Amino acid sequence: MSSTEQGTSSAAPAEPTTAPESAAAPEVPESFYYVHGKDKVVHKVSAGALQHSALIHGMISNLGYTEEQAKANPFPFENIDGDILQMVVDWCNQHKGKPTPPEDTNLPKQKEKLFDLVLAVNYLEIKELLTYCCKQVAMMVKGKSPEEIREIWMIPTDAEDEAAEKEAKKRAGKEAAGETAAAAGDAK
Amino acid sequence: MSVHEPEMSLLQNFGQLGIQRKSPKNRFPLLKLPKVVLLECIENLDVLEIILLTLLSKRAKTIAKLIRWNPLDIRLTTDSRPQIELGTPINPCNRWFIKYDKKQESSRNLYFLSRQLGPEVFRSLLLKLDGNVIEEFKKMVEHICEVLRSPISDIRISDKSLIDWIINFQPTIRYVSIDDKVITTSEKLNHVLKNLKVTEYFRLGSIPSYTTFEYTKPIPSRSIIINDASWLSLLAILDGNNSIIRLIGSKLTPTDINTILKEWQMGTKLQNLEYLEFTTATLLDSDQWRRRVFNDLNRTEGDENHGRPTTVKIHDEYTYTLPWAHLVGNLIRGDGTIGTIGMYEEWKHDKMNLRQLRFYLQVWSRQA
Repeated sequence: MSSTEQGTSSAAPAEPTTAPESAAAPEVPESFYYVHGKDKVVHKVSAGALQHSALIHGMISNLGYTEEQAKANPFPFENIDGDILQMVVDWCNQHKGKPTPPEDTNLPKQKEKLFDLVLAVNYLEIKELLTYCCKQVAMMVKGKSPEEIREIWMIPTDAEDEAAEKEAKKRAGKEAAGETAAAAGDAK
Repeated sequence: MSVHEPEMSLLQNFGQLGIQRKSPKNRFPLLKLPKVVLLECIENLDVLEIILLTLLSKRAKTIAKLIRWNPLDIRLTTDSRPQIELGTPINPCNRWFIKYDKKQESSRNLYFLSRQLGPEVFRSLLLKLDGNVIEEFKKMVEHICEVLRSPISDIRISDKSLIDWIINFQPTIRYVSIDDKVITTSEKLNHVLKNLKVTEYFRLGSIPSYTTFEYTKPIPSRSIIINDASWLSLLAILDGNNSIIRLIGSKLTPTDINTILKEWQMGTKLQNLEYLEFTTATLLDSDQWRRRVFNDLNRTEGDENHGRPTTVKIHDEYTYTLPWAHLVGNLIRGDGTIGTIGMYEEWKHDKMNLRQLRFYLQVWSRQA
């Protein structure tokens, strides 16, 4: 489990506390990297834990950071809320180097939070966690009636979809007309 | 008619239009997920939930159709409570049912039932509807076949309106069973025989007797079972490639049967035959009848039937135990295959003095 502290987006984040290490310490000292979300809170995460994320793993491989450089340059994920990133980091730490169990009961029960978590996990390319999340999403409608499914998953009616499509077309038309007018203005 | 009218109709039955929305915090905007994630979420749904989701909107249906679902085994029964049964060969322990019923006053429109018997899990969706249940049933079947991209494998037809529907919707099908008195005219019977291709098992229930109607073309199904089979000619049997033939009320004469047996023994016709059984009425006594049937046949008698099976496989899930009969001889084909003949006089018709005879030919081989 990682701990966090309020940081800034500056190149020199405050020293975060480290995640507890297992009793049998590896012979080669483990390297750590730093990530922060929208709230700028920096999380120190081991390379082993970050291996769950194909995106971050790829970034680490490509950048070839030293620990010092990594500390000075946390990976910024401005599109992920701080509490969601915390959940992701916690999950990666909990499942570091372990086979992933078939179920995960620690996912958020609040649907809004789960939605943000799914988006974050998909962005960070954490395959196993995404699988859990998708199962959890499917579980939401277990035994529900069609009305309840529509409500929980916010499925618009055909009329609502058609109205939204019309509106989008109208907006696109207006934008295209605006761009044409601007281009004509530039030409003058 | 709009192509989505059926879905709209189903939705109206579920009373889904104009629902009250809850606070957004308790909801999950599924369709706003990236497509790959959205599809993975939908893939985790149970079959019944997929069906309900895809009835909610055109968009939900289009998205679900992008998934390559494992093929389903779809079985339909349409008696007093029409039912759709769904299964998957990948997980044969799970079966799903959609059952229809007339709506009673103050009853709920829809509810789920779940039952577990050992390793088998049965999930049912019960729909109570006003109006024409059969029409709603048809729309639902079409919807399921379209979304889950699976054909109907088995249908038991108890309602006349389903005949034209199945011929139009899916004219080739593995198992078909048409109940008694569903087909009432020779035109309809002819239409069914010409337009519905049943590949595995075809059972036709009793129909009014047609003295003038005769069907001479083979019925291309592995197994055929026909009640009131007076219309099926000798030619239809001889030219067919059926393995199982059971005809009740056949009008085949002893001479016709003699022809069948000779052709089978020569190996020129009915090469795939495993079992032929029919009941027929005759004015002849059983000795006269037998003499005509076995005329000029190379028949052996005796206790040569050790190892003869007592059952035949009508189809994958139906094994038929042979009826009791007097064994009246064996025919041996050139390739060593044995045709055992059984006969039984069932009862005597008082008024016409007709004898009801049951006859069978069982084809089998002695194990090496």
